[in-house]
Amino acid sequence: MMFLSLRHLLARKKQSFLILLGITIGTAAYVSISGMMLGFQNFILEQLVNNEAHIRVSAREELLTKDSLKAFPGVMHVFWSLPPSGRKDSSKIEYPMGWFAMLDQDQEVAAYSPQVVSQVIFTQSKVTRTGRIIGSQFERQMKVTNIENYMKIGSFRDLGNSGNRLIIGSKLMEQLGTRLSETLLISTGNTAPQPFKIVGVFETGIKGIDETTAFSSLVDAQKLRGRPSEITDIAIKLFNPNEAQIKAEAWKLSSTDKILPWQESSASILSVFKTQDIVRNSMTIAIIIVAGFGIYNILSILVNQKKRDIAILRSMGFSPSDIIKLFFNQGILLGILGGIVGLFIGNIICHIMGQIEVVPGRMSGPGNKMIISFDYIIYIKAFSIAVLSAIFSSIIPARQAGKLEPMEIIRSGGQ
Amino acid sequence: MIKTHNLTKIFPRSTVPALKEINLEIQDGEFVSLVGRSGSGKSTLLYLLSTLDTPSEGDVFYDDINVKMIPQEEIFKLRNKKIGFVFQFHYLLQELTAIENVLLPARKAKELSQRRELSLRLLDEVGLKGFENRYPSELSGGEQQRVAIARALIMEPTYLFADEPTGNLDSQNGQMIIDLFDKINREKGTTIIYVTHDKEFAARARRQISLADGALL
Repeated sequence: MMFLSLRHLLARKKQSFLILLGITIGTAAYVSISGMMLGFQNFILEQLVNNEAHIRVSAREELLTKDSLKAFPGVMHVFWSLPPSGRKDSSKIEYPMGWFAMLDQDQEVAAYSPQVVSQVIFTQSKVTRTGRIIGSQFERQMKVTNIENYMKIGSFRDLGNSGNRLIIGSKLMEQLGTRLSETLLISTGNTAPQPFKIVGVFETGIKGIDETTAFSSLVDAQKLRGRPSEITDIAIKLFNPNEAQIKAEAWKLSSTDKILPWQESSASILSVFKTQDIVRNSMTIAIIIVAGFGIYNILSILVNQKKRDIAILRSMGFSPSDIIKLFFNQGILLGILGGIVGLFIGNIICHIMGQIEVVPGRMSGPGNKMIISFDYIIYIKAFSIAVLSAIFSSIIPARQAGKLEPMEIIRSGGQ
Repeated sequence: MIKTHNLTKIFPRSTVPALKEINLEIQDGEFVSLVGRSGSGKSTLLYLLSTLDTPSEGDVFYDDINVKMIPQEEIFKLRNKKIGFVFQFHYLLQELTAIENVLLPARKAKELSQRRELSLRLLDEVGLKGFENRYPSELSGGEQQRVAIARALIMEPTYLFADEPTGNLDSQNGQMIIDLFDKINREKGTTIIYVTHDKEFAARARRQISLADGALL
């Protein structure tokens, strides 16, 4: 019946073209909008995943509850020499050696970096700024995050393993009014200020980080804090970032330390993505529904117009299923053709959008161009939506045509 | 051979039967006209004989096989291979050329290439040589009806049924159609059964079956 379906379509070129246009626009819209949004999302995700640890283990944060007193079994009243604050946090990871031993063994862990993170006051002559200093071993830190990519001046290696060297965020350096190779004082508040020499500058593009953060070697940060050999954080990189949540849940069972996978630390951004996806999908669905109704309408009218043809075909021995195919094929052909053309047009639009220059900053990719995703999944989805909508919208009129009895058509005079 | 036994048809929402207990036998190779006034049941009888309609009661036998016992798919095959139809309105598919229309049944039977030569010959026989690639809209009513006859004959059927084949044509064109039937019946031995209310055309058949009020006269 494909022959006759084709002839039907070609006999009504204008109508067929208009329907085709609807499906094509729907498919192209899905491809280009998804390309743009997913391109942006993937870029942000990549940054989230690679700039920070996949999983961050940090010192325990725990509220004091009724259950906390069960540490004193059989005791009715507990008196404190110094009343507790309602929390029993820890300021360090209790047993880092255990963590290291486990992480070294774990096949899914790509790298880890022990850190000392402390809140500090940066002082340069009369200017002071609060912020945080992250002490780490540079080889390990470079394996866990891609900080090296954000180095504006110098290399992250310049930190060395000791010697009070500092790599500072670009905005923080600006605010302190200092520059490379100058020395500034850093204090944790509890200990005497110590001088650090700036050996490098980084810029991630994220204001909150560039304005507050500086890196030092692990040893120097421990000395600054006055507690050598303690660490406060372990940044962990996995081979597969998507496993982070599952991994974190598993570790939580055997540790009282705080364990945070990146999905949780960037939950707010991920929820924005979800909203974006809803908008993107509902827009496309709306377009496709319109195109689907187009197919449905045209085919319903066609079936009505072609009742005589149906009668004559049936009298020649064509079966009801042949008649169904006659009309169903037309819908499917429009769906497939519209889908393919839509994919091409969508792809072209994506390429054009990829050339648009945007304001330099976090949202722009290499060369300050807009980032577009060309993920093949988008194209598979777009095509399936086009074909599925064509199937759904042509099945009803086609089945109606199949149910028509030739005698009824002839008796009613063919109209 | 087509035989009927107590063939009765009552249309839904009607109390009077359109056909009452018709018993009839038509041998292969007969040239039969069904005549009667409008409402006499002649078209109803034609469609019951041709398997397109189903009787309320009674049976139709094709070569002593009860049509009711033939499975659906076989009925479709029977219509395709053994039966040709010509309707009052020429019922050509407007999207197809004359020759494509003629070859439609062959397409269903998947005998397109085998029948191509026959289709050219049939169009020649109905006097439409050179019109093969014209669309129905480019043909006159009489020419369209002749294309329809060529189409009815493409599978070389045993039976040709025609419902008022001249009804929509002027007398000259009508004459031509009946001449054609006569020739086909004589040369190919096709059983032809046609309905007409025109006395002159009815008389051309070698057997006339008259009906009145749903009964044979």
